[in-house]
Amino acid sequence: MRILATALCALSLALSATGTQAHKPSDSYLSIVVGNAGLQGQWDIALRDLDYALGLDANGNGEITWGEVRAKHEDIAAYALARLAISANGAACAIAPTGHLVDDHSDGAYEVLKFSIECGGRAPPRQLVVDYNLFFDLDPSHRGLLRITQATASSSAILGPEKARQAFELAEVSRLRQFFDYAREGVWHILIGFDHILFLLSLLLPAVFVLRRGAWHASERFGPVFWDVLKIVTAFTLAHSITLSLAALSIVSLPSRLVESTIALSVILAALNNLWPVVGGRRWMVAFGFGLIHGFGFASVLADLGLPRDALLLALVGFNLGVEVGQLAIVAAFLPLAYGLRRSMFYRRMIFTGGSVLIALVASVWLAERAFALKLFPG
Amino acid sequence: MSQFLLRLALAGLCGSLLTASAAPYTPSGEATVLERLPLSPADPLARELRALRAGLVARPADAALAAKVAARYFDLAMADGDPRYVGYAEAVLRTWAKDPAPPPEVLVIRGMLRQYRHDFEGALEDLGAAVSAQPSNVEARAWRAAIYMVQARYAEARAECNALSAHASALFATGCLAYVDATTGKTRSAYEQLAGALQRHADAGAKTKLWNLTRLAEMARRLGEPAKAEMHFRDALALGVTDNFLLAAFADFLLEQGRSAEVVALLKDWARSDTLLLRLALAETASKLPSAAKRTKALEDRFAEAGLRGEQLHLMEEARFRLSLKGDAPGAVRLAVENWKKQREPRDAAILLEAARVALDRAAAQPALDWLERTGFEDPALHRDAEALKALPK
Repeated sequence: MRILATALCALSLALSATGTQAHKPSDSYLSIVVGNAGLQGQWDIALRDLDYALGLDANGNGEITWGEVRAKHEDIAAYALARLAISANGAACAIAPTGHLVDDHSDGAYEVLKFSIECGGRAPPRQLVVDYNLFFDLDPSHRGLLRITQATASSSAILGPEKARQAFELAEVSRLRQFFDYAREGVWHILIGFDHILFLLSLLLPAVFVLRRGAWHASERFGPVFWDVLKIVTAFTLAHSITLSLAALSIVSLPSRLVESTIALSVILAALNNLWPVVGGRRWMVAFGFGLIHGFGFASVLADLGLPRDALLLALVGFNLGVEVGQLAIVAAFLPLAYGLRRSMFYRRMIFTGGSVLIALVASVWLAERAFALKLFPG
Repeated sequence: MSQFLLRLALAGLCGSLLTASAAPYTPSGEATVLERLPLSPADPLARELRALRAGLVARPADAALAAKVAARYFDLAMADGDPRYVGYAEAVLRTWAKDPAPPPEVLVIRGMLRQYRHDFEGALEDLGAAVSAQPSNVEARAWRAAIYMVQARYAEARAECNALSAHASALFATGCLAYVDATTGKTRSAYEQLAGALQRHADAGAKTKLWNLTRLAEMARRLGEPAKAEMHFRDALALGVTDNFLLAAFADFLLEQGRSAEVVALLKDWARSDTLLLRLALAETASKLPSAAKRTKALEDRFAEAGLRGEQLHLMEEARFRLSLKGDAPGAVRLAVENWKKQREPRDAAILLEAARVALDRAAAQPALDWLERTGFEDPALHRDAEALKALPK
């Protein structure tokens, strides 16, 4: 049914597309993102304009297919990038294509050309100069609509034959701002990183109990509970900070499949320990041991974000602190509730036992998926 | 009922799929059609243009050839309102960009392109230079007259028409003069003269006929003779020449008559043109069609896109859009006032008066009120708006 509906949709869209595509003067959409880790570009250029310049319709039937565009990817990138020059702080940047996609604008389909911008130098650029010369020889009414995006500000400009070369002063990114950017990413990652949360929760669930003769009993006082939690969280933090730093600084690296599988395994073991207790008061050691592996998991996120070359340590500390803040928020929400409910059957049966079973099950699925690269559940 | 529900469900599903794909994507298969070219390479016109452009590559300084290619592209732009062709035409003329005295044929087409960009002074300069070099250049004089009309410089327009009568066909010159007369308070006699001239010159070219029939239709409408107006419009459409302006004028006529359903049928395949999309959105709104909201949104996006380019070629349309589709009379007044600074044709006055009447802003409408007074332009709708404005406290 879903396929049928999608097909119907595609059909009706295709039919309406011929009738509702706008007549528009030729524009391209050029986007430069100035991030902490460097510059990146995206350039949306109308297929119709590229066809006028390069001839995309290979079989001459009046229709441009994805196959015809793909066959011309190299030509398109060479043609377009030869007509764009970017320099930072007075020095020319190297531009290279990194990918090709397609997007639909109001007047039809566009080539989406992704490209890297390598300007050298460690410091983020203060000034960018963009020199744009696409299509002006074929259509002087063509315009390049430029958008330069930064964390704190963005600017836009219209590039035309009379204003083909324009300079932009970039907002200076303060160190403090950079620090908070990475801290926010850290908080965000722990809050959406279910494997880390479940590992921590598995270790925290029994914190309101004491292990006596192989069985869990409700703690009498809050003091020991608090210390138990503090030890676990500190050990976990210390451990993953160490490996996160080592990985981020490229001192140690582990294959991501091994890391991700071991993380899943750590969640299973921590949950099983609640059902069939082996380790009691020394769970902080478990937290430390597996925390080392979780650190490698965080490092892969940080690698995706990119690290500023001139402020590596700052970003690292910021991200780490963000992770800690996120963790503390989880603990602060969990601990009072668990302590208040610790004597109830609801906590013991539903939360502690039921929760641990559920966590173990979920983590088993992850383990199977990650270790054998399977996809058991969509999403 | 179930049909309706199915459509609703499909629309919702398509909507969600659409939003889902509102980001760059990799098409599903090699054969996926991404774009349909407006002119198939096999089309005879496309072949001709290719051959002409190839000739131009070989002889870039051939003024006659360049002017011919540019004129072909300009015709294409006028036919279905696609502005990319205007850019192609401009590119062809770049050889003469820094030439202090380009050949007349280049000057004429460059003047036409400049008026398209609303660079009226630049256009008059080019056309004037062409007329100086070739006093008998009919096209240059006709376009110069048209620009004078846009600028409400009626004495100069009339002089141009008179000069035309020495060089052009009688129909051409009569049409020119009739247009000036009809705009300056002599609609009835202008109509009679032009109708007679058109009858006498049944062998005139289709484009000339189309222009004159459109004018006749508009005159008849203003004279309160809708049946005659419709007849002229239909005769013009029957010529089989695609003309964006004619379609817009006929649609406006039908909308005024409350015949929105016919406008929907007339323009349903014309949404790609901004000026016609406006009429389509107005008609669908008047007909209370569910698709009206989508049209209005599409139009709003187009104006926003034009704004990104820093371009304001459709101020009059945008004012009408603000007034009639967004219910934003003050916004419409601002646009209509801005538009009036450059363009002063009857329809520019009409939107300024209407918007100002709805916004109760007599001061803003004063230039159009003065124009109406000065020209004696005859159109009941304009005078109704003017009277309502004059009744407002100063």
